[in-house]
Amino acid sequence: MTPEQKLQALFTAEAPPARDHAFQARVAQRIALRRAWMTVVALVPWGVAATTVLWALIPVIEPLTRELTTLMPAAIALAGVAVSAVAAQALSRRFSAG
Amino acid sequence: MGEFQTDAELVSRALAGSDTAFSRLVERHQAAVRGFLRRALGSGWAEADDVAQDAFLAAWRSLRSLKDATAVRPWLCGIAWRKAQDRVRTSRRGAARDSVWLETVELPSGLSHEDRLSLAAAMGELPADVRACVALCLADGWSHGEAALALDLPLGTVKSHVARGRARLLKALGGPDDA
Repeated sequence: MTPEQKLQALFTAEAPPARDHAFQARVAQRIALRRAWMTVVALVPWGVAATTVLWALIPVIEPLTRELTTLMPAAIALAGVAVSAVAAQALSRRFSAG
Repeated sequence: MGEFQTDAELVSRALAGSDTAFSRLVERHQAAVRGFLRRALGSGWAEADDVAQDAFLAAWRSLRSLKDATAVRPWLCGIAWRKAQDRVRTSRRGAARDSVWLETVELPSGLSHEDRLSLAAAMGELPADVRACVALCLADGWSHGEAALALDLPLGTVKSHVARGRARLLKALGGPDDA
């Protein structure tokens, strides 16, 4: 073997396989992890903004919640009636002739 | 179907958010990038593969900076080369290239373990730029122009690096002094 042939043979021996699913899977895993972190980081400003808005609205929301609490039994009753009406309508449509 | 897509088509799809398209690019170019890094780093295949993963991740992040979608391979190897340089600088392992890993590699017939160690030692003694040029042009058969593009070196420099590196490697494998 000439030195030139040895050089080529040694270089060829170091070549990775044309396909390596394990390597590709590791790259895909790292990309998925990076994408997940990027999503979390992108959501942080929105979370901070939402928290700030809610905090600013506390003086407005608090009296409303107190009023809503007193109205809650009536609201539940009304919701129950509405659901029953819708269900009755759906059933009557289903079992009506024709 | 995906097998016959060009690099440009895959880049376009990857830019639109397709991870499958980027995976196809990884599949297509991983051997070239990893082979280049194995020769250019010379410090063990695990480290070369680690740098290759970093390079593909960096490529995924900066895919929009790819100017010529038909030249994905030189672009990827350019990123891999910069990552390799960073790794050598930070780990300070450039001078202490261990050769233990070489013993685990199967040798083609007609070659001795001494040949492999001689080549590894000769590659280790080459300056980093010369080693990279040798890895691309002699080992992978790239043209000097492609290597110049990937390594961001002038064409004349690449030619002289390849000639100088080749002579030193052949000498280490028993060739004449002026090989």
